[in-house]
Amino acid sequence: MAIGTTEKRVVLDLDRCIECKSCMAACYYGHGRMTGLNFVDIGPALLPIVCRQCAEPACVEVCPARAMKRDERGVVARGIFMCRGCGSCVRACPFGMLSVEMTGHQVAKCDLCADRLSRNLAPRCVSVCPTGALQFATAAEIEAEGLAVLGGRIAGDHPIQRR
Amino acid sequence: MCSEPVTTKADAARCLLCNVGCPVRIVRSGPDRYIPDYVPHAGYAGLCGRGSVLVEFLDHPQRLLGAERGTGANRRRIDLAAAIQEAAGALRNCDGAAAVIVDGNLDLNSIAAAGRLAAANGAAWSVFVPPSDLGLVQGLDSAGCEFVGPEGLATADALLVIGNIFATHPVAAHWVFEARAKSRRMPVLVIADGSAVTAEFATSVFQPRLAAGAAAQAVAAIRTGKTDAAGPDAQSLAAWKEHLKKVKSPVIVVSAELGAADAQNLATEVARLAAEVHGRVLPLTAYGNAWGAVRLAAAGGAQPIEKVLAATPRTLLVIGADLESALGTRAVSPAFERAERLIYVGPMPNRASSRAGLVIPAAFAFETAGRALLGPDREVQFSPLLAPPAGVPTVRAVVQALGGPADVRADATGKVAAASEAAAEAVADAPGVRADADGLVLAPAADPFHFADGSLTRLASWPPVVRPRPALVMAESDARAANLADTDLAVVDGPAGSVVVETVTSAAARPGQARASAAFAEVRDMFGWTWNGPMPGEPVRVRVRKA
Repeated sequence: MAIGTTEKRVVLDLDRCIECKSCMAACYYGHGRMTGLNFVDIGPALLPIVCRQCAEPACVEVCPARAMKRDERGVVARGIFMCRGCGSCVRACPFGMLSVEMTGHQVAKCDLCADRLSRNLAPRCVSVCPTGALQFATAAEIEAEGLAVLGGRIAGDHPIQRR
Repeated sequence: MCSEPVTTKADAARCLLCNVGCPVRIVRSGPDRYIPDYVPHAGYAGLCGRGSVLVEFLDHPQRLLGAERGTGANRRRIDLAAAIQEAAGALRNCDGAAAVIVDGNLDLNSIAAAGRLAAANGAAWSVFVPPSDLGLVQGLDSAGCEFVGPEGLATADALLVIGNIFATHPVAAHWVFEARAKSRRMPVLVIADGSAVTAEFATSVFQPRLAAGAAAQAVAAIRTGKTDAAGPDAQSLAAWKEHLKKVKSPVIVVSAELGAADAQNLATEVARLAAEVHGRVLPLTAYGNAWGAVRLAAAGGAQPIEKVLAATPRTLLVIGADLESALGTRAVSPAFERAERLIYVGPMPNRASSRAGLVIPAAFAFETAGRALLGPDREVQFSPLLAPPAGVPTVRAVVQALGGPADVRADATGKVAAASEAAAEAVADAPGVRADADGLVLAPAADPFHFADGSLTRLASWPPVVRPRPALVMAESDARAANLADTDLAVVDGPAGSVVVETVTSAAARPGQARASAAFAEVRDMFGWTWNGPMPGEPVRVRVRKA
């Protein structure tokens, strides 16, 4: 699934997240006031979670409108005019990444900021992060840095305790 | 004095929503649609969540785009030139009974021009900055400290952080992490709310009581080693001075959370400690241009804002500042009501504009070119993020049309002296955090069990006999002082009434602060919320007693 820059994933360095939600604000304003990024409260910390771009995405499997698909870049994306907002993908996502926007009746879905990737820029959430907690990295870089992959396995000795 | 002067960039727009002053630009993503872009510049990562709202302002549907005359249902759109002519006439013919209040987060030249306009009309003038910013500047400017910009944090080898700076100034965290990456064992000593996010990254934390003077006492305890005054848990502070003294480049980062007097005391103690440990100081203010505004006000003969309001001017010109939201209705409302002519100049409607008889639209500060003083010796020039909407003048243009000078070059190099203690205390502080008050600061709590959305209808569906009571979460020490135990019924007396609550004591709650569920109408009444009105979320000061 390594197609161009999309072999990279948005990952979080737990040791640097200050819960400022700048990533969410950047995503919200950059995507027409819809955010494809959520926060999860794990008690000791409030952490941002973004789409893992699964190898076999359940959201694509269940979508009755075929609005969800993996595009030519390998990114699982939502067709903006095809989504009915039925919420099937919301229920299917095993990582709880998706949510229905009540006002637009559509599902907000992270597309890794396609407009920025085409200009060789990192996604907005990564670019805006004041502390460098969010990074846009390949699997090898993730392994080398010991970063936590969001929404899935959490690497590191003390995943919810600041070093 | 600044050891690492910031390079002035005339071609960059700046976010002035705090004194980190991040560079910012926006890109057009469609017709009448703009999104923020991120400028990696000198280590800046981009804009924080607060800075991102700049784009929200640009196309805000409620933005003031035309001049208006009248109040309430009688308000009518009028020609801009006629409005300016009317305002200029009101200022000219006031026989010295006029005042000009200008927001301190405008560019330096606009503030200075407003001062000259006032002087030319024999009017009093004042510059509004948040009281905590005012106290910090007055306490530090002439203290002889060595100051540093936020970039300088990267070179620190020990940090004393006062306040929850990761929440109030998130981008400053960027350089804290840079410094920490160089030395994993770097001491990060934090004086703040123990549940604040900054405390999560500390090597040592001290939680001062939420009360005037508590943070200053903690800093004094570090300096003198005498910890009795700082509270029973303050013994650990005695060792902090050694942490700061044994390194080469300690930095004290200070932000203030209470009023002007508290901030000034804190700043004075910080300056003393910095001198003893040979440390540099980074003051963080809520207004980006707070330093420049306070200096210009002092140099230009501006009066304290409470003095201007107390004089009940017949004609009151308010430029940009939302005084009622900042200082509270009680402090501002009498002057607004007694003024014969209240004129508001600014970009967005607020409580001042709703009371004003004449409203003149103006551009945001980030829609003009100008200069700001982000800290001592941290002057920056900035260019417009975007041109203002057609027909909306800049503040400079409005001031000039009202009879102000055409060309002003403000000099903000003169340092200000510390205010007397009485003068600092006299500055109107935000409601709930007044330095001279006692009791507890009550804040609204989001309580998921009791309908965090504040819904009235859902709560109303509960039969009164089984209806839950609001809970008041408070520190164990405060509960003991009020002769209360966990689950006791208590009465909370506030400025807007009383409410019966069930006490919940918690070791995690900060002394001096209590929280009550905002889902209950009787709790909301304590905060003065109105039906279908905005939720101000401002804390109020209350007393708690046994029921």
